[in-house]
Amino acid sequence: MRATDPAGLGRGRLTRRLPVFWQAAPDTPSARPYRVTPDTTARRFFLRVIFSVPRLTVPAAVCATLLMVGQSLVPVIVGVAIDRALATGDPSQLLFWLAVLAANFLVATTCSRFGQQLMVHAAQLAQLRLRETLSRAVLHTTRPSRRRVDGSVVSLLTNDVARTAAVGLGVFALAEVLAIVFIAGALVFVHPPLGAAALVGAAVTLWLTSRLSGRFTRDSRVYQGLLARTVGRATDLVHGYRVIKGVRGEAEATRRYREASGETLHGAHRNQGLLGRFVGGSGAVSGVYVAGVAALAGLFAVQGAISVGGLIAAVGLAQALLPQLFFLSRNAVPGWVAGLAAGGRVLDVLKAADEVGARQERATEPLPAPAPAVEVTVPGAGALRVGPGELVGVLADDRTAAAITETLLNPHGAGDDGGDGAGDGSGVGAGGDAGIAVTIGGVPAELIDHAAYREHVLVAPHRATLFSGTITDNLDVTGASAAVRAAALRAAACDDFAGGPDGAGEVDVGELGNRLSGGQAQRVALARALARDAPVLLLHDPTTAVDPVTELRIAAGLRALRRDRSTIALVSSPALLGVCDRVVDLRAGAGARGAEPVAVPGGSAR
Amino acid sequence: MNQDDGMPAGSAAGPGFPVADAATIRREVGRLARPHLPTLLTVLVLGVLSTATTLVTPVVIGALVDAVRTGTATPAGVAWTAAAMIVSTAAGSAGIGATIMLAGRCYHAVLAGLREQLVGRGISLPQSVTERAGTGDLVSRSSDDVGEIVDAAPQIVPAVTTAAFTIVVTVAGLSVLDWRYGVALLVTLPVYVWTMRWYLRTAPAVYRAERAAMSGRAQQIVESQRGFATVLGFGLAETRHRRMQDASWTVSGHTLRTRTVQNMFGSRLTGAEFLGLAAILLVGFHLIGAGLSTVGAATTAMLMFLRLFGPVYGFLLALDQMQSVFASLGRMIGVSTVPDPPPAPAGRAGPGTAVRVERVGFRYGPDGPPVLDGVDLTVATGERVAVVGPSGAGKTTLAGLVAGIHDPGSGTVARPARTVLITQETHVFAGSLRENLTLAAADATDDEVVAALGTIGATGLVGQLPEGLDTEVGARGTALTPAQAQQVALARVVLADPDLAILDEATAEAGSTHSEQLDRAADAALRGRTGLVVAHRLSQARACDRIVVMDRGRVAEIGTHDELVAAGGRYARLWESWSAGRPAPAR
Repeated sequence: MRATDPAGLGRGRLTRRLPVFWQAAPDTPSARPYRVTPDTTARRFFLRVIFSVPRLTVPAAVCATLLMVGQSLVPVIVGVAIDRALATGDPSQLLFWLAVLAANFLVATTCSRFGQQLMVHAAQLAQLRLRETLSRAVLHTTRPSRRRVDGSVVSLLTNDVARTAAVGLGVFALAEVLAIVFIAGALVFVHPPLGAAALVGAAVTLWLTSRLSGRFTRDSRVYQGLLARTVGRATDLVHGYRVIKGVRGEAEATRRYREASGETLHGAHRNQGLLGRFVGGSGAVSGVYVAGVAALAGLFAVQGAISVGGLIAAVGLAQALLPQLFFLSRNAVPGWVAGLAAGGRVLDVLKAADEVGARQERATEPLPAPAPAVEVTVPGAGALRVGPGELVGVLADDRTAAAITETLLNPHGAGDDGGDGAGDGSGVGAGGDAGIAVTIGGVPAELIDHAAYREHVLVAPHRATLFSGTITDNLDVTGASAAVRAAALRAAACDDFAGGPDGAGEVDVGELGNRLSGGQAQRVALARALARDAPVLLLHDPTTAVDPVTELRIAAGLRALRRDRSTIALVSSPALLGVCDRVVDLRAGAGARGAEPVAVPGGSAR
Repeated sequence: MNQDDGMPAGSAAGPGFPVADAATIRREVGRLARPHLPTLLTVLVLGVLSTATTLVTPVVIGALVDAVRTGTATPAGVAWTAAAMIVSTAAGSAGIGATIMLAGRCYHAVLAGLREQLVGRGISLPQSVTERAGTGDLVSRSSDDVGEIVDAAPQIVPAVTTAAFTIVVTVAGLSVLDWRYGVALLVTLPVYVWTMRWYLRTAPAVYRAERAAMSGRAQQIVESQRGFATVLGFGLAETRHRRMQDASWTVSGHTLRTRTVQNMFGSRLTGAEFLGLAAILLVGFHLIGAGLSTVGAATTAMLMFLRLFGPVYGFLLALDQMQSVFASLGRMIGVSTVPDPPPAPAGRAGPGTAVRVERVGFRYGPDGPPVLDGVDLTVATGERVAVVGPSGAGKTTLAGLVAGIHDPGSGTVARPARTVLITQETHVFAGSLRENLTLAAADATDDEVVAALGTIGATGLVGQLPEGLDTEVGARGTALTPAQAQQVALARVVLADPDLAILDEATAEAGSTHSEQLDRAADAALRGRTGLVVAHRLSQARACDRIVVMDRGRVAEIGTHDELVAAGGRYARLWESWSAGRPAPAR
């Protein structure tokens, strides 16, 4: 056995065998999604999330309360010890109060550990459930929503989920309130008028400091925005690095970054100034408060109304009251505001997804069996019909091509939001504005049952995404057998880099396929599309990054592999058009001719 | 994405830039901090004075306790005590606020200097150096590392100023009160040292693992988002969902572990706090018994020690933060201190010649296979030459060598001083359309910008955008279509007005309908200058004066379109296969 801590916590020889409580289960636990109805409010949703793990948060709240009471008791115990032991010189009293102090520390530290661990564990479970809910509704949905799934989903699934799962807010806010009640009670017990004055003073202190913090907090948000812009600018410049180098724009790019950075520094200076004022101001206000309580207690002590121990305890308690109040104003209130806002964003996304989902419940038609023809009608340009075994080339302008791709990809989710159409490759849901109609065997695609449609029609988008893993991992997702995968890799001309004769493809493609060159990634994506062997396949410019010689091989491979299937090729490449059975021209100039098939010179490669 | 032309795969994830060592970090930070030296001295003096001022409160409370015990306390005395406390606490707090403000400003000023140096250097280094290190590394250093240091400021600035001063001043104050109280505190020191050693040994690995798990989770989410169409099209929702949830739960596991480590850290510090309080009580008990101290002094000592809990905790946590700040500093400064590679021997072009490539060989990395081997090429001033060939033939590498992005491994390259390279990568910068265009010519007026767009036949672009030249484009603004982005790239060439323009498959991603339009635009952009065109569509090659056919790093054929077709070699075969089945061959 190794001489190190098996839990990797760097513990000594004696303690390393102790159990470590409430760590994560090795396997991802199953999580129930949160239910959302159209009339769920953000506040109710947030509260439900916070209180959704009571079996952990209730014990955590008990622990937290004990911890805070224990912390407030420290100055009291020491004060009493000074009064009873130090002032009297009684060693048994000293030992007794030292023991009391030790017990208090032990209880507080134990409660701290268990309380924190339970609370964080509860937060993880709430996050898991939130992600389960969100991921199935928007990111990994089989029923796409109308919303564009843009980069903000990353922040939604990480930051917003974490802020919404603020279970600590419930735990600690409750514990704080209980601790405040305890301290107030103790102060009143020492001397009722003093206690009352201390409480009123604490409220005034809290009000003053929260006023001081307001401006700083607001400015911090402004500063964070400035900083994000500067960082964003650096990232943007580096992403366009080759462009800058190409046009010798280094000096200008650097000047622009300096400008943004200088603005941010200016913001930082202002922000630091406000921070200094806040720190100084709140320090002065709370210092004056403690001084006031001490002076008042001193006055009562002069009058003989309280003992020296009472005097020390009163000062200690008044000092202990402030952190609890500050927590409420500095952590709990902003945490509540931020959590409510994040929960609201999560809720909006869920509701929007639900709306579309409800509409899709109507899509229940089975597929007209067997091997029906697919018809795509583009208003103002014409229609195309693809029967079994046909490979049809389509010439269309960028917008029409994108609209056809998106409608076929997502006939159920096409909404009425009229997206901007200038897609970035992932813009799903913006296809509805072109009014493109798709029927399969005469049945409108939007009425066909989801799963059946997905089984039947495969859309390979132009900017196909490879997922991290090997080439085989990427092809595996299609559920294809090894033989089919190998055939697909051959047809897509991947054999030069995808491994041995068995088409092993144990090449790691990297994050988003970034370890492959553009042409390699495109060929792997094509192979993946072919490996699915779907009855209907739409390909959109699948070979733009491939050289002419390889493209010709791919064209032949595609024709052979799709012999018995329906294929729509939205392409401009002559090599691919050359193997099509028919070419339909949907471009603006061809409008008069409608969807007349274009003659293919030189015949097809069949 | 990389070109499909022998470029090292995955240049976004290279071996990375070097990391500066501790001495370099100290030197660079010291250099940037030098102008702020007077401010830093003020921080030191003001910080010590203000934290010392706040010690008045425990001292006068102790005196009050003694006065009450001995029965000498009067209401007037209490009032004086209160006045002393209020004045000292107000003055001390104001001083602490000013200290934090001044120190924070220095911190941010030095950081701004560092990040500007980093980005400026990263962009101006030779492209071969940066691409070998990986642009992904540069992105990470200019965003993650900068963010790391900024985020640490609220912890580190108070910790190294007021918290540290408070600790020093309080320990000094306790010792002044009675040196034996100071000695009592020494019992806590081994616990703090032991705790800190354990923490610094254990925590970094745990935090690193958590951060790595977080980026793994982000990667899963980003891949699903970027590949939304793919996930939907292939029905991968369930698989991807499980992968994301597993990645998220891995993060949870690490988060719980970091919480455990923090709990253990907190427990140990609590232990030290108990030891300190107990020691003060014991020392006080003996001193008072021996008549060497008073109950009031013991109270003062206790109050002073209680005030240390917060600063000590903050200071120790900041030590941990400082480690990661130091690591980030090393990564930022590592880029700024990369030395320039020695310049390659320049070739001589001679009169009437724009480009002369002589016996050039090239490989990526010392052990890489040769990408170019004995390449000779001469381009006359004003001539337009096309480069064609299959994947991996070395076309893009040749373009990069002629542009001066790479230095040849052997042989020489001569080029005009004003050379511009446009690749398939059409990055649209976040900013206005104008800013995107004037990147190549910072002083260009609006008239010149519009004229440049007119030259390439893209005057309509300004009208298509909602706010004309002021339209925000790029990541946060209006998304340009690939064709529009190419127009912007070509307009930059016109504005830069170079002697030699190299287009590396610059119009390949044009899409179905825009290819002819963009070919015309490229033609206009090249008019009146020497041009080197790496062509994907052979129609582009055909329009050039001469065509170079590359194969496996060598020049296989060279000549005009008609000559090469007539010769019946590689180009002729390529042309035949390319034009076969072309629906409407452009004449």
